[in-house]
Amino acid sequence: MRNEIKQALIARLTALADDEVILSHRNSEWTGHAPILEEDIALANIAQDELGHASVWYSLRKELDGSDPDGLVFFRDADEFRNCELVELPRGDWAFTMLRQFLFDLNETLWLQQARDSSYQPLADAANKILREERFHLQHTQAWVERLGLGTEESNRRMQNALDFMWGYTQQLFVPIPGEDLLVAEGIVPDLGGLKTRWLEYSIQHLQNSGLKLPINPGYQPASRTHHTEHLWSILAEMQSTARWDAAARVW
Amino acid sequence: MDTQWPRWEVFKQDTPAKPHQAVGSVHAADPQHALLTARNIFARRPQAISMWVVRAEDIFSWTKEELAENPPPEAAKQTEPLAYGFQPLTFCVFRKTSHKRSMTFVDYVGEVSASSPEDALKQAQQQFGDVEALAWWIVPTDRLAKSDPGSETVESWFAPATDKTYKQQQYYATIGSHVSKHKLGRETDDEE
Amino acid sequence: MPAKYGLPSDPDYSLRLAEFEARIGRGEKIEPGDWMPEEYRRQLIRMISQHAHSEVVGMLPEGAWINRAPTLKRKMILIAKVQDEAGHGQYLYHAAETLGVSREAMLEALLSGKAKYSSIFNYPTLTWADIGTIGWLVDGAAIKNQTMLAAGSYGPYSRAMVRICAEEAFHHKQGKEMVLFYARGSEKQRQMAQDAINRWWWPALMMMGPHDADSPNSEVLTRWGIKTKSNDTVRQEFINEHAPEILDAGLQVPDPDLHQDDKGNWVHGPINWDEFWQVVGGNGPMNKERLEARRKAHDEGAWVRSALETYAAKLQKATVAV
Repeated sequence: MRNEIKQALIARLTALADDEVILSHRNSEWTGHAPILEEDIALANIAQDELGHASVWYSLRKELDGSDPDGLVFFRDADEFRNCELVELPRGDWAFTMLRQFLFDLNETLWLQQARDSSYQPLADAANKILREERFHLQHTQAWVERLGLGTEESNRRMQNALDFMWGYTQQLFVPIPGEDLLVAEGIVPDLGGLKTRWLEYSIQHLQNSGLKLPINPGYQPASRTHHTEHLWSILAEMQSTARWDAAARVW
Repeated sequence: MDTQWPRWEVFKQDTPAKPHQAVGSVHAADPQHALLTARNIFARRPQAISMWVVRAEDIFSWTKEELAENPPPEAAKQTEPLAYGFQPLTFCVFRKTSHKRSMTFVDYVGEVSASSPEDALKQAQQQFGDVEALAWWIVPTDRLAKSDPGSETVESWFAPATDKTYKQQQYYATIGSHVSKHKLGRETDDEE
Repeated sequence: MPAKYGLPSDPDYSLRLAEFEARIGRGEKIEPGDWMPEEYRRQLIRMISQHAHSEVVGMLPEGAWINRAPTLKRKMILIAKVQDEAGHGQYLYHAAETLGVSREAMLEALLSGKAKYSSIFNYPTLTWADIGTIGWLVDGAAIKNQTMLAAGSYGPYSRAMVRICAEEAFHHKQGKEMVLFYARGSEKQRQMAQDAINRWWWPALMMMGPHDADSPNSEVLTRWGIKTKSNDTVRQEFINEHAPEILDAGLQVPDPDLHQDDKGNWVHGPINWDEFWQVVGGNGPMNKERLEARRKAHDEGAWVRSALETYAAKLQKATVAV
């Protein structure tokens, strides 16, 4: 593999993994605090799977550069993380959490479906494996968006607020990272342009069927994964607190 | 009124060779939501290939003791009109036959066509009377919601749990032995 | 149809009670729909709902550490474990529901402070080693109790327990693994593990409840096969397994009187029952916070529960209209 392609692939894998780790963190905040016991279990399921997916992506990166997944998660600083800003946003209410998860899962599912044909076999294999779980997540969150959108006036209003707030942020999922064009040209990853078209088509239809309207002004649209919200520092301060607590610790 | 939503009984099938078995219940608002919820709760670990759910209130149940004391009225004398649309109806029959230690209750044994739940019970007793039943559940078939039997759903709903080895106690094999035999850290990285 | 839940004032009570106790004696399971004494039902609802509440409240002290777990693996394990606890609460509420009590009523009792749950969860989790120690000692104590309850006479409770025991073994082992790692880890890790054991050992011993002589419900619970072993017996099993393992790991048990008697049993020093009753009575360090967290989640979830109900009603209407 040419070095520039390898570097681009490492960057893409890091972005995929970081998205999952940070979103999993936000979802984990619900554990023990969900609206009904059954949903504590459901969201813990999603958070767990996301962490599993992150591990898969970090392991693929490890094959390329030998980096230690735990080292990446627990010893990088905020400016070294490459997740999108959407996943950093506070968990908000149940509407916000479910809508973010739906829009994220939809993107992930579409991306994985195409990534199964990746010319880079380890990535194709990983995509095949992760897609299985992701299909279920999508069914689950899609069902929630529909129910809250069409439920009560209050649930519809909360969903609409969430949509108005996050729509701009979701567009970052389709902003190529530096070197992405090389990976696309090599058939290693899906083209985000085509992906965005399908994502828009599917998501808009489901949102409309759920009684929700796209915001007229999409608001702030983050453009680079080197920029973060003011939340990331605090997320990492918490996430890394135990791992960094004892420099002499070898095994956790 | 603020509620915990209706209760749905859940039936899980572990392998094609096994029947659907009553594993417990979930609280959910509607049939699809109940199925999704059942998957999250009862397929956290292997094994499963299919799930059914039904509103708890749609189940007709009899224990052996109840039947001994109050035999159900003859089907022919059944005068109560059924709340369901057409007759005869199909009913799914579930049965429990053992007092042995178990994590499941009644097993699915088959379907019967009948004019009422009581009639269905009578037919079940004839058709599935090979072993003494300790308890019967009779469920109008049209009240059951079932997971999609397609391979894509089975793969997506049930297969991933087999990879989550860290939830299995066997994963911590060395922990059961004496501390002196206990390895510090794992030799190989068996991440996912 | 005769009342399923018999009262001593019923004319056939003693006859039925004899049949009922004979069934239990034969190892039969009592199932929903079968005759049972009202007192059997009352005791079961009390025990099962307390147990369910314990699992639900038990999510809180550990759940708070998911986002501070030191490795990806530990994080996944902890999410899976806390998820199991929610699942166990869920199984147990189900078992109680088969006795004709609604989950709404049980939750109301919890949130209003009327219902009890295991006092162990009213202690704070101060360090990461608490997570390992809870798995090893608290879940270790719980498993001893649950294994006993899995043999119980009420079908739905026993089945829930069998399922819970199968899952709980992983909780115990992952916790023990951690503490054993830290016992031989860095100096700070070792100290952290010892500190956690010092704080959790006595509350874990209290989990089995008062000494047999001071346990008012025990006699009837044993006769009806709800409990198959006494509090002190289960406590002894727990100490016999865990005390030597803690010592073998090079850690201390915080009990200067702990010793092995000539029968091989590990004998503990006096338990501070005053502390136990203080925490049971609502004066533990975390009683107020735990309950407040549950209330907050419940209140903030009200609009969600109502939305899905409304959606389901609309769905039903649409189906009927078609």
